[in-house]
Amino acid sequence: MRDSQVNTMKWRYFQQSLFFALFRAAALIITLALGGIIIYIIINGISAISWEFITKPPTHSMTKGGIMPAILGTIYLTAGAISIGLPLGVASAIYLTEYAKQGRMIRLIRVGINCLAGVPSVVFGLFGLAFFVILFKFGSSILAGSLTLGFLILPTIIGASEEALKAVPQTFREASLALGVSKWQTIYRIVLPNAMPGILTGSILGIGRAAGETAPIMFTAAAFFTSKLPSSIFDEVMALPYHIYVLATAGTNIEETRPIQYGTVLVLVALVLGINMVAILMRAYMRRNKRW
Amino acid sequence: MDANIIIKLKNVNFYYGENRALTDITMNYQKNKVTALIGPSGCGKSTLLRLLNRMNDLIDGTRVEGEILYEDKNIYSPDLDPVEVRRKIGMVFQKPNPFPKTIYNNIAYGPKLNKVSSANLDELVEQSLKQAVLWDEVKDILNQSAMNLSGGQQQRLCIARALAMKPDILLMDEPTSALDPISTAKIEELVEELKKVYTIIIVTHNMQQAARISDETAFFYLGNLIEYNKTDKIFTKPDVKQTEDYITGRFG
Repeated sequence: MRDSQVNTMKWRYFQQSLFFALFRAAALIITLALGGIIIYIIINGISAISWEFITKPPTHSMTKGGIMPAILGTIYLTAGAISIGLPLGVASAIYLTEYAKQGRMIRLIRVGINCLAGVPSVVFGLFGLAFFVILFKFGSSILAGSLTLGFLILPTIIGASEEALKAVPQTFREASLALGVSKWQTIYRIVLPNAMPGILTGSILGIGRAAGETAPIMFTAAAFFTSKLPSSIFDEVMALPYHIYVLATAGTNIEETRPIQYGTVLVLVALVLGINMVAILMRAYMRRNKRW
Repeated sequence: MDANIIIKLKNVNFYYGENRALTDITMNYQKNKVTALIGPSGCGKSTLLRLLNRMNDLIDGTRVEGEILYEDKNIYSPDLDPVEVRRKIGMVFQKPNPFPKTIYNNIAYGPKLNKVSSANLDELVEQSLKQAVLWDEVKDILNQSAMNLSGGQQQRLCIARALAMKPDILLMDEPTSALDPISTAKIEELVEELKKVYTIIIVTHNMQQAARISDETAFFYLGNLIEYNKTDKIFTKPDVKQTEDYITGRFG
């Protein structure tokens, strides 16, 4: 090889290692940041965690006691949001990808959905207040909060579901239709089961968001403090994110509630991770036969 | 109508948007015969095949003119449900496309959704797999995923799946183009057997295959039906020069 060739090769290798190093660093920084946050939360919050903390309501103007009503409230709201957002989102995605004639109208709807994803969550909160709480007279309640959160996570679920549906090979649809099976049966029996893992991935993101959002439930569902547990979907509830906000800004004694704040954050993070784990396991279970 | 004719095409034109893919096709398909559709890529033979069970309906912006008569009814008439048409006219695709289900459920899928009782289902599955000469290879692994089978086995499974619907006609769209020679030979033998019961229309790129297995051959070029006759005749003494040129490999 001539010298100039050798030099070019060296330069290329140098370029290659340089960029790989940069990518590696980027990945590392993200991991460190995430790990750092979680470790910080655990270190500061673990001392607050006790059986009493997760099973008792707050006492002494929230400086003592537990956060059980808030845990329960967040579980209710998240479950409500998913049970509204998932069917609605999957149904919309099925319509958009399987039934609708692709054209300007559908493009417009897609733009709309993407815009919805970019709307600040506080706007969703105000919309929920005006629409569900006041117009529909649901009051500040689990129902109004779940609906608001459900609409908030709708774009995420529609987007993920559409991708998942599109990823199901067209040959499966053709094979089914060619057997004299109707379009709906094909979607229900073949397309949906094969898209389910992807749809669940979308819902996981949705769950995380629904559980963690504060602004949308502030006006629609969350109570500053209630020691009694909700008895129907028309009751308002405490919720973890709002409780954190309350403790950190409007509590009677912010310094004194500091450990409780960290504890609450830890519980919220653990709860979201826990729900995600369930969805991830379900996805893995459904994927075990997937091979094409 | 001649009792031996099962499908009749009358002046069929087909368009993808503004593009005409088939021009004024008029032809009859014989019952219990194997008809091969041959021609160079893009000649419209697959398009024609997919017209016969209304699979082209799945593509937006397509349009059909003319009549395709099956049992004296135009399969494109608005009061005929394409689902009904597809029950009677089965299809096997170019690439094996089993569902990611067990072997048993691949076969049972169609009949189950068409209300075949589960008591008869076992029998139907066995019968269909035997017809497709796959039974001996899979009878002990019916509950395993069909995805574990070899390509050739998968394609015979797809044939069995189509047969389980007890169709009148079996459309095959280059069914061996993704298979090795041994699997291809097996499928060809199978076609010989099946034509006793079914009418088979097969698209193929393989001239020897058309000559080996078909009774009738239709040659297409640029969306036109150039020549349609007994296979022997087409492959020995074609009437049209274009057909001869294609068959002898001078173009295509």
